[in-house]
Amino acid sequence: MLDIRALQMSYGAEPVVENVDLGVAAGEFVSLIGPSGCGKSTLLRAVMGLQKPTAGNIRLDVEKAEIGFLFQDDALLPWRTARDNVALGLRIRGRSKGEARQEAMHWLESVGLGQFGDRYPRELSGGQRKRVAIAQVLALRPKLLLMDEPFASLDAIVRHYLTEDLLSWVEGEDLTVLMVTHDLEEAVAVSDRVVLLGNGPRAHVKGRWEIDLARPRDLLRVKEQPEFATTARQLWDALSEEVRTPTIRQRPELEVVNQ
Amino acid sequence: MNQANLWLQLRRAAALTLVLLAWEGISALGWVDPFYAPPPSAIGGSIAQLFIDGEIYKHLQATFGAALLGLFLGLIGGALLGFIAALIRPVAELLEPVMAMLNAIPRVILAPLFIIWLGIGIASKVALSFILVVVLTFFAVYNGIRDVDTRLVERVKTLGGGPLVLLREVYVPSVVAWVMGSLKVAVGFAFTGAVVGEFVASSRGLGYLLAFAQSTYNAELTFALIVLVLVFVMLLFGLAGALERHLLRWKYR
Ligand SMILES: Nc1ncnc2c1ncn2[C@@H]1O[C@H](COP(=O)(O)OP(=O)(O)OP(=O)(O)O)[C@@H](O)[C@H]1O
Ligand SMILES: [Mg+2]
Repeated sequence: MLDIRALQMSYGAEPVVENVDLGVAAGEFVSLIGPSGCGKSTLLRAVMGLQKPTAGNIRLDVEKAEIGFLFQDDALLPWRTARDNVALGLRIRGRSKGEARQEAMHWLESVGLGQFGDRYPRELSGGQRKRVAIAQVLALRPKLLLMDEPFASLDAIVRHYLTEDLLSWVEGEDLTVLMVTHDLEEAVAVSDRVVLLGNGPRAHVKGRWEIDLARPRDLLRVKEQPEFATTARQLWDALSEEVRTPTIRQRPELEVVNQ
Repeated sequence: MNQANLWLQLRRAAALTLVLLAWEGISALGWVDPFYAPPPSAIGGSIAQLFIDGEIYKHLQATFGAALLGLFLGLIGGALLGFIAALIRPVAELLEPVMAMLNAIPRVILAPLFIIWLGIGIASKVALSFILVVVLTFFAVYNGIRDVDTRLVERVKTLGGGPLVLLREVYVPSVVAWVMGSLKVAVGFAFTGAVVGEFVASSRGLGYLLAFAQSTYNAELTFALIVLVLVFVMLLFGLAGALERHLLRWKYR
């Protein structure tokens, strides 16, 4: 479905990521983890074609129109209501206005925002906006879903139910997913494979974990399985290696000022 | 909130009435010379007289015609130029310095030139209004397009939107927000252009009447005309405000 070979991405002279190989087979759910600023978002943007690689190549087996993309700092059109934001993608795909709106309301309901269709984004909370964005993308019934920390700003409960819904949706529709997340347990619980991107600059893949838990998965049950805990622990250790010691502990030395 | 608003309006009206009464009283006591500062009642009478004579209508028509035409053409012209400059780089390289220069100078100094070129008729007043408004609108649209939130552009692109959808869903609404922000200023500018143009050389219009009042040292008529211009501009401000609240309801609701 998606095949990334020897990918290099740079903003300035020094590459952010280098020599990244990553394949995602059809129907696979792959999570991408890694320290903050290592280039996860950059990688996802490259797959979507929003940013050109400086080396290497990306092969896609789907049309651009069949890819759903959820940005990390997603923005809704401020001058459109939640419903019309969701309807926009459907309208672009040629659906009539009434049809698109009706379908949009259905999707808003499925992310728990049935009563908020007439609100403008300014009148929604951060988490509600995020859910509108999720509805906006799912409404297009993508075959490949690229998600950049989709649930980061949601409370634990909503997050759990949305993840559960998404999981059953993905399993039911046989969707292919590449998701960036900072939540290791979430990564293990939903993925077939977790890929660790090392510290940047010149970040590359530092580890891969196959998650052999049976599908369909029950988000609560899966966490009780012994394999879950061991894999999560391994991810934790591997990620700790990559994350630099938090700078809060490293007070700047006063002598440095005099240099 | 509405009640608070009502109270605010009432307090303002009361303050204005108080000032006018005080002014009237000072005049009645003979503390100021009515030749320089005629009492409000005299100014009111003068305004009424203008309408009773019917004299004022052709002047109002001239000024309004010039101002509204200049406003309309200036908004359209500025929007078009701004769009083109924002989308086509070489055009921006040519236009931006010219517009920046026009923006820096007090554009009313062009009035004599327009009168030489276009005569003392309405055309020179429209031109002055236009040049005042077009520069303002150009920058509103140009900056509006260049400062468009790139996240919105990417969002619409990833939803499958082409250039036309981008224009309709992202660029035009962003630009409308910017233009609305300067619409009231544009209305003021349009009237400035028309009245100043008439003031310099004309045969009708509120500016012409002002010039006449000034040359005959008629403070009463001068005040009356100032009040008239004020009232009409405030009226247009109200309309512009209503339009703004409607078009930007996603911001104000
Ligand atoms: N537009 C840009 N111009 C220059 N540098 C950038 C730009 N965007 C990102 N970077 C840099 O590229 C690196 C990777 O950024 P990226 O957003 O891909 O990180 P990330 O892995 O998604 O981090 P996080 O987990 O915090 O979201 C960072 O060091 C960042 O400073
Ligand atoms: Mg990121």
